[in-house]
Formats: sequence, C-alpha cells, structure tokens
Amino acid sequence: MIAVSGLRFRYTGSEQPALDGIDLSIGAGELVGVVGANGAGKSTLCYALTGYIPHFYAGALEGDVLVAGHEVRRTPVSELAAEAGLVFHNPFNQISGARYTVLEEVAFGLENLGLVPDAMRQQAQAALLATGLEDLAGRSPFTLSGGEQQRLAVAAVIAMQPRVLVLDEPTSQLDPAGTRAIFEVLRSLARTRRTTIVITEHKLGWLASFVDRLVVLHAGRLAADGEPRRVLSEAASQPWGVGATDYTRAAQEARRGGLLPTAGDLLPVTLEQALETLR
Amino acid sequence: MSLDLRHVSFRYPGGVLALDGVDLTVAAGEALAIVGENGAGKTTLVKLFNGLLRPTEGSVWLAGSETRRQTVAQLARQVGFVFQNPDDQLFARSVRDEVAFGPRNLRLPEAEIRARLEQALAEVGLTAAVDRHPYDLSAPERKLVALAAALAMRTPLLVLDEPTIGQDAQGVERLGKLVDQLSAEGRTLVTITHDLDFCLAHFERVVVMAGGRILADGPATEVLQRVELLQQAQVEPPELVQLARGLGWDTMVRTPQAFAEAWTARRAGKDGAR
Amino acid sequence: MAEPVRRPSAIEALHPLTKLALMLAAVAAGAALPNLPAVLGVYLLVLVPLAAAGGCLAPFLRTSLRVLTPFLISLLLIQGFFTTGPTVLVRLGPFRYTLEGLLVGLLFSARLLVGMGAATLLMLITRPDALMRGLVERGLPNQIAYIVITALQIVPTFQARARAILDAQRSRGLETEGRLTVRLRAFAPLVGPLILSSLMQIEERAIALEARAFNRPGRRTSLVALHDTRAQALLRWALLAAALALIAVRLLVWRAA
Repeated sequence: MIAVSGLRFRYTGSEQPALDGIDLSIGAGELVGVVGANGAGKSTLCYALTGYIPHFYAGALEGDVLVAGHEVRRTPVSELAAEAGLVFHNPFNQISGARYTVLEEVAFGLENLGLVPDAMRQQAQAALLATGLEDLAGRSPFTLSGGEQQRLAVAAVIAMQPRVLVLDEPTSQLDPAGTRAIFEVLRSLARTRRTTIVITEHKLGWLASFVDRLVVLHAGRLAADGEPRRVLSEAASQPWGVGATDYTRAAQEARRGGLLPTAGDLLPVTLEQALETLR
Repeated sequence: MSLDLRHVSFRYPGGVLALDGVDLTVAAGEALAIVGENGAGKTTLVKLFNGLLRPTEGSVWLAGSETRRQTVAQLARQVGFVFQNPDDQLFARSVRDEVAFGPRNLRLPEAEIRARLEQALAEVGLTAAVDRHPYDLSAPERKLVALAAALAMRTPLLVLDEPTIGQDAQGVERLGKLVDQLSAEGRTLVTITHDLDFCLAHFERVVVMAGGRILADGPATEVLQRVELLQQAQVEPPELVQLARGLGWDTMVRTPQAFAEAWTARRAGKDGAR
Repeated sequence: MAEPVRRPSAIEALHPLTKLALMLAAVAAGAALPNLPAVLGVYLLVLVPLAAAGGCLAPFLRTSLRVLTPFLISLLLIQGFFTTGPTVLVRLGPFRYTLEGLLVGLLFSARLLVGMGAATLLMLITRPDALMRGLVERGLPNQIAYIVITALQIVPTFQARARAILDAQRSRGLETEGRLTVRLRAFAPLVGPLILSSLMQIEERAIALEARAFNRPGRRTSLVALHDTRAQALLRWALLAAALALIAVRLLVWRAA
C-alpha cells in the first residue's frame, strides 16, 4: 500500500536534508508507529506520504513514493486526499470553517469529492460513530473542546474512507482519555477496514500497546524497523533520542544490579511485559 | 513566596462553574504538580495566581498580600507564567528580543538583561538560536523560547502549563533537570501536566483535580499511589507506580534507579532466604 | 453577528435566495419610494410582520433600531440645519433648523432603517452557509463562498485569541491597565502574535482544506439539499422585476428626495 524507495528531501534554504534515504514498505491494514527525536524527519515523512511534499513544501526531492497505487510526485493533493488522509496535531486549524455543524464538517470532504447525499450521510455518520462524536453532530465545531476537535479532525478525514491514514502527533494536546479514544479508533480502522495507518508519536507506551510495527527515524534515516518491543529495546541503548518508557528504564537499571538475566533478552516496554520480566 | 488560595470559586461569565471552593496553600520553595483531566479546572486555578482571572468568591494571597490589589503586570514580577501555547506570546523578531521582553518590562539595566538572557537560553539549550526568528523554530523549540522568556524574569514563583507536550526524550530530560535545578535554588514551582512519569520524578507534591474541586493534595509518594482515585479523575498512574503495584509492593519508588535498587534488594533477600 | 433563530418557521423554510430577493426588494422600495409614510410602510407593514412570522421580532427590532440611532441623530441634525426651507423651528445664532430639513432627515433615516432592517432580518432568518450554498448553485465561485463563511466563523475566534495573547503579554509584565498612553503602548506586542499566528493558522488551514479535496476539479455535491418550489422561483422573479421597476420609476418620475 505504501512503497517508498530512496526518498531524500531537503527543504529549500536548509543545508541538511530532512530525509536522507528512506526505503519503506507498508502493507494494507498495517498500523505503523514512527518515533524519533524532534528534527529527525517524522513530520517530513508524513508530508511526503500524503503529497504535501512536494506540492506544498518546496525543496529538493529524490526517490519514489507510491501510495495506494499513486505516484505522489505526480498526483495533485486534492486527488490524493481521497486515498491518503493526513491528520496533524493542531486540532483548531483543521476545522474548515466552512460548515456550521459537526456533521456537515465531517461531510465537507465528501461533498468536495462529489458523493451522492445518501452515501455521504452514511459515511459521515459512520465516522462520527467511530470517533464517539455522534452526540455532538449538531453542535458548531468551534464550541467543541480541544480533545473533541481533534477527534473531529480524525472523523473528517476517515469519513473520506482513505486507504491510507497518516497522523502526525495527533494526541499531543490530549489527555489520557482522549489519547485512548484516538488509538482505539485507529486500531479499529486497521482491523476492520484494513486501513493502512502511519502515526508519529512521542508516547511510547501507547504506541507499544497499539501498533504492529515501529519505525525509528534518526537524522533523516531509518534506524530501526520492526516489532515494537524489539525496536524499543534496542532504542534504549542507542543514541537515537527516542527515549524509553519507565518500564524499560526500570528493567535496564535492574539489569545493572546483576540479578536480572542479561542482554539477549528483550527489555520490557509495557506493564505486562515488565511484570513478566521482573516477577 | 507563599501562595494562599482561600476557598476560591470561579464562575465564567457564561455561567459555568470552573472552580468550586478550592483551598490551596503553596509554601515557598515547593514543587507542586496539578493533575487531572481536561476541563477539571487546572488552568483556571493557576490563572488565579497572577491575576489573569480573579476569583468570583474567595481570595488569593501572594506573599501575604491579596492579589486583588495588584494588576497582572505587577504580579508578573513575582509569578512567572509559561502558557501551553507559545504562539500566544511570541511576537519579537528574534529570540533575543523575545526573551528580553520580560526583563525590559521590569526596567532592569541592560547588563543585567543581557546576563539573564544568556543564562535563560543556556538553561533551555537554545543559546545557538539567539538571533533567529522564533517562528523559524519548530513548535517544541518555540515552547522552550517561551520558557526561557519566563525564566529570564527570575520570578520566585513559576507556573508551567503542560511543559512537556511535544518535547522529545531529550527535551523532557532537559526540562526535568531544569525543574530540579530551579527547585534546588529555592524557587516555587507549580506545573500542570498529563505526564505523570515526569511528575513523579520531579515534583514533591501532587494535587489531583476533577470537576473544579481538589480530590487529593499531598506528597507525590502518597497521592500517586492512590490508583483508584487517579483513575476516577481520569489520570493514568505513573508507570513505576503501576509496576510496583503489579509486583505487590507496598512501597513506592520515584525513579528507575530507585526501583532497581529496591528490586535488587528484594531479589537478593529472596535468594538469600532460600 | 446575530444568530439565526433555531425555531423552524414558514419564513425560515423558504429558499435562501427567496429571502435574499425579498430583502433586496425591500431595500429597493425603501430607497425608491417618494415619501416618508411609504418608506415607513415598508418597514412596518413588510419587514416587521416578516420578522414576527420568522419568530425573531424582538431581536429584529432591537438590532435595527439600535443600529439606526446614531445615524438618526446625526441625520436629523445635519439635514435640519443645512436644508434650506421656509419653516424655521429653532434659531441658533446664524443657524436655522427648519421643518423641511427635519422631514428630509426623517425620510433619509427611514430609508436607512429599511435598509438596515432588511439586512438584519436576512441575517436573522438565514443561515449564512445556506445563503452561500444558494448562491454557489447559481454560479458564485466556491472560493468566494468559502471566504465569506469562514470569515463569519473565524473572525469571532480572533477575539478569544487576542485575549489569550493579551493575557500572555500581561503575564510578562506588560502593563495594560491604567493611563491611556500605557494602554496604547501595549498595542505592539499584541498585534505581532495575532497577525503571525493568524498567518500560520491560515497556512495550516489551507493544508487541511487540501486534505479534504477542496480544490479538486469536478462536480461538488451537497449533504443538505435546499428546498425550492416553482412558486418561490416565480416570486423571486416578480420581486426582482418589482425592485427594478421601482428604481426606474424613482429615477424617471419621482425626483423628489
């Protein structure tokens, strides 16, 4: 569903490339997390997957990005949008401002795509249901709280039923309840609709619990790609700036005490794993 | 710099009661974290500290005098505030001018302003960015500029509203060190945060809020163990607390190192007992 | 801006372009009819009953009269003193306040009242997005409709934004309370963030719009259909014709004030 090969990108006016040779292949229905230090290229990758690069952000682009069968470089964003949606982390700026109710806001993209009203209504309502916004359908988007607005942004994009969904730190402004709501929607989409999902995050614990695969970006390159526990275990002792959950750190420190079986075993990343390791 | 909120309530003009009879005393030099779900009243509460909001009932006392008598700008000499959204305040053309804005308002001599500027930027790790336009920096970096701007005012009390949002691991670590350092200097710190692990590691006292009320207020080691209460307030307990609890411990640890020591001791004890 | 009243009424159920046509005809009548009773008649016998039928009489009266008041006062004063006429009511030094002037002022005010009343009523009984949708169906470029609607929805948020910025700067020692000079000096650190963050907001919003296929070429559909009838279409043409006729007659026949 997503095939990236040799992707290099340097923003105009920047000396360093933001992405320096990325090869990545993601299949339908995969839920992939992307982690890395700030400046490692996470947002740039999100833009490259959805066409914002090169169409909106100028720079030197090399390599091929194929998303849902479209060559991103050659497809205008408004066309690609039906197949690859992007949600970013400022909920307020994602409200179109063109509609007076939440339901219409969610249907806005579908109107632009020229869908029949019945299909639109059905898809929009499904999106509201998936994001838990059905009770707010008649409210003005501007009266929603930050967490609700972020769910609205997700709903508005998933209503278009894209095959690929890219989210750039979508939960940064949300509290744990809001974060859980977003992650659960994503998991449900990946499982039931086979939507391919790429999400960048700093919240390692949540990622480890929800994603199938984790990718680490470091200085514009792919430093690791694989099963979340394995990748985060490795990241704990690498200078990638990814950080670690306290479960990982606790086990790391415990290892130093000498009473915990040593390297070769994976470090725990979640509570369950930590309890298993440390009991 | 002691802060005393006496039975404060706050009702928004539209009628919503955001704070309901809150009593809170913060002694000089304390490091306090306020946690709770969105809408619990946390931001409303801290805005009472520097007069941005005035209580509709009750009173706020700062260093022994009621804040009602002073303007926000006057209170700004004693209460520094770092907002959740840095874009609400960044207006200067360079980081330098931005960070110097506060001290200039305090009418400090230029040499003093320069010294504070350097120190503040060093504390947040943005010394190299001093002449850049704030909006050329990334969002997390702009947050750090806003923090530096507040640090440069060297207020005895500093309020941080969700400082770790958007920061990467290194950024959070730097913030943690900064908090520890400020605390060691004797500054009073109040933070609002969803990052309970950060809270556990760096703050002595925790206040849990829900529905405009304080549900719990006490030492971090005590409050953060009350898992049911935290969950009732829609707060995820810190990972180390969940771990210790899962292992059946009745004590709490605040850092991975402390955890490891306790764990090793127990394991050694168990092995020794065999 | 006044919020459209939410209770459904026969008036509100009309197609937005019908409502627009009604209001335009009222404005034309208010501008063209030759004397005070006729113009007031448009307000009292056309607009007020429509407002009542639309369930928004109180806000309509409040707003249209409130907006008129400053103009009323200045018009009555200016016209009264500066229109020459035989019947002098008040003498103030070299200035003469005439009855004819008073009447002219009243007539102008009445015309203004009808104009503002029509605009107010339109805003009260029509949802802006419905009106825009009606216009887009008739050929208004989508981009223009978008700009109008978002301006209506987003500009009010600037107020909240400005307040947040004001709070942030006050918290850094910017004094905003006190003498006027103090308050004026506070202006610069407020304008900068407002403009810059608004620009960034616009950029991000433009990107978000692209993600919703806003600029996609091709047919656009609508979730909510606007209900129109032949009768209304005929009414609109009739109103348009009447408005044009009134204006023509005014220009050619009635050449009084």
